[in-house]
Amino acid sequence: MKRVVIYSEDIESIKTAASYFGNENTIAISNKEVHFTDELHLIDDIKEDFIVNYIVSLNPEIVVTGSTKRDKTIAGAVAGLMKVPIIPDVTEINGNLAKRIVYSGMGIAEIEFSYPVVLTISKKSVEVKEKGTKVIKVQTKEEKIKRIEIKSKGEGGVDLSSAQIIVSVGRGIGSKENIKYAEELANALGAALGGSRPVTSELGWLPEDRQIGLSGLKVKPKLYIALGISGQPQHLAGIKDSKIIVAVNTDKNAPIVENADYIIVGDAIEFCKVMTEKVKKK
Amino acid sequence: MNTIACFKIVPDDTLIKIVGDKLELNVPPKISTYDKNAIEEAVRIKEKFGGKAIGVTAGNTDRKSIREALAMGLDEVIAINMRDQDVMTTAEVIAETISSIKPDIILAGESTTDSSGSVFPPYLASLLGYPVITYAKSILVEGNKVRVERNLTSFSEVVEANLPVVISVVGEINTPRIPTVRQILESAKKPVKTIDYNRQPKIKITKVSPYVTSRKKIIIEGKMEEAVDKLLSYLSQEGVL
Repeated sequence: MKRVVIYSEDIESIKTAASYFGNENTIAISNKEVHFTDELHLIDDIKEDFIVNYIVSLNPEIVVTGSTKRDKTIAGAVAGLMKVPIIPDVTEINGNLAKRIVYSGMGIAEIEFSYPVVLTISKKSVEVKEKGTKVIKVQTKEEKIKRIEIKSKGEGGVDLSSAQIIVSVGRGIGSKENIKYAEELANALGAALGGSRPVTSELGWLPEDRQIGLSGLKVKPKLYIALGISGQPQHLAGIKDSKIIVAVNTDKNAPIVENADYIIVGDAIEFCKVMTEKVKKK
Repeated sequence: MNTIACFKIVPDDTLIKIVGDKLELNVPPKISTYDKNAIEEAVRIKEKFGGKAIGVTAGNTDRKSIREALAMGLDEVIAINMRDQDVMTTAEVIAETISSIKPDIILAGESTTDSSGSVFPPYLASLLGYPVITYAKSILVEGNKVRVERNLTSFSEVVEANLPVVISVVGEINTPRIPTVRQILESAKKPVKTIDYNRQPKIKITKVSPYVTSRKKIIIEGKMEEAVDKLLSYLSQEGVL
């Protein structure tokens, strides 16, 4: 049996990792109470450099982490200390083959690996049986990185990562003021409101935590409505798992058109007004 | 203060196309999007604190892209030619190459557009024995310390570490400058040191195929009132509304 150390701040990622390595000797490290592994080392805080050294001290043959930003930071540092290969954002594991998405979501690569290795995995919805996990409490300490402050962002509206319907805006919406039309439509639909990279991190029309795409959130709603989004690869990479994609765009040749199920050629604001009225009447 | 900007030259992701069952990767190269932010930040630190801003690139060593990095203000570029590379071999060769420079700050983009793993900066930091701060949206250098605000998607965190340090940056940290004609001309005189490096990665990419989700691509034109009615009926047939 191989010793597999699983780390994530996200329960679903620990479940997914446990489903891949259920027959091995598994140790989970997390700040959440999860019982899918032989042991759980329950940490009281996320101090990345402490966790990195802690994982390495357990002498793992395989390290699996989730794919949150802090998870990946820890995974990269662990692999560097262990001087072993790392494969990030693995979507599927089959024996010694791992699959991952490459080229801004346009390609899927198959990678052959051997042990020891560090993997970061994309979470899946899996059923895993709970185990009689032995729980060990671990007190973390501050090391080289000193935390000064945590700034939480105001929680606005529906959670994007679990939303069933998402209304998303791009530069084509025109201005910050016009976001309100998308917001009204989202409210009428009971949808979450998101945006492309330009409107979130570049123009600031929406908060950064609303960013959908490769460098933001990956979403998988039943219905994704893209308003004035041209469809850069970086954005498409975040919406590939949506069931139905609707695009509203004045440009019939925008890349989003090739990547949508239904395309309305026209003005996004006019669409919002008409659609909001009709949805409300339903 | 010596600053290093790590950047990768990648196939332009906006030009990559799916042709049949293949990915057409033979497209013009570019500096990976967020690595330009790393170059910009390195040049800004140099402008404020003096010292040198040195670029390091590994993999494809396309001259035109390297010229662009120099024109943006880097003093010199170390170009490491590698045919096969993975995170491990790339970090190893860069760590070996820059250890003699004794940099104070090493910058890199949060992820590249070809592989998008985000794990190279922490890997490099571990090899060098430096602390790592990822996803920086602002960097403040104060004496021998840095104070960094990190964008962790649902919240942000302010942290501090002593130099030397490895920092990965997000796109919102700055707007990369567009070099002037003069800067482009002058960049031709700046030194580029080329190194050849061959080490076979322990992991092997056996196949890259297009990742496609087939979409219906039904275009609805005409008056908005009618278009929305049509859309609503499609959506109810789909069972999503």
